[in-house]
Amino acid sequence: MTEVLAQRAYQAPATPEAIDELHTELDRIWEVASFIPELDQMAFTTAVIESASNVVQHGVAVPGGELRLGVTLTVMASVLQARISEIGAVPSPEMPSASLPDDDEESGRGLALIEALMTTITVELRGETKTWVLSREIETPA
Amino acid sequence: MRFSTEQKDSYTEVSGTGRLNMVAAPKLREVVGEVVSAGNKRIVLNMLATDFIDSSGLGALIGCLKMARQAGGDLRIACVQPQVKMVLELTSMNRVLTPHATAEGAFSND
Repeated sequence: MTEVLAQRAYQAPATPEAIDELHTELDRIWEVASFIPELDQMAFTTAVIESASNVVQHGVAVPGGELRLGVTLTVMASVLQARISEIGAVPSPEMPSASLPDDDEESGRGLALIEALMTTITVELRGETKTWVLSREIETPA
Repeated sequence: MRFSTEQKDSYTEVSGTGRLNMVAAPKLREVVGEVVSAGNKRIVLNMLATDFIDSSGLGALIGCLKMARQAGGDLRIACVQPQVKMVLELTSMNRVLTPHATAEGAFSND
């Protein structure tokens, strides 16, 4: 059940434009992995874009360096997995809040949304690279 | 993402085509800001062709709602697609931004 059925990798400077390009990569993986139920595709895409947007919005490049976004998307029969890396960032072990803010707040819902959509979320810190590993188990495997 | 606005009899319809993400969110605020500045307080955001929203887009929707209400009006959403519906429900924002089936029906009970 852990055989890789489809995989795509993306890396670019962490700019807003990268988010649109990454979304196109996600669309491409679903063209190959169209056997994945639509609800799972939708949930996974949402969590990956949310997490990558977090890198673009909150990642801080090391002095004199460039902050990059690196993403690997992997489709297995029973699990969808994404590794979203903040490359060349000032190490920040802090985690954003996962609780929902007041109704009139305009930000702060990202992590709560990712938590609601994913089965597991882990964060790896290695030097100047922080990687979010998001996994969603598929209820009715292909 | 592309936006268009159309003046109807009793409201202004703003339609968005594409993904309402961190790239498009500031554009939506700008478009709705211009509509409100022009004196139009009743706004319907037609989301028929908006196939994706994230928390940045949601933040922009809340900002636009506040703009319209501060001007004495309201902003309502219509024709939401499955992914937008999912995000609204998971964040409980469907309580604040209740999706309407049609743009025409969004203000019909007022």
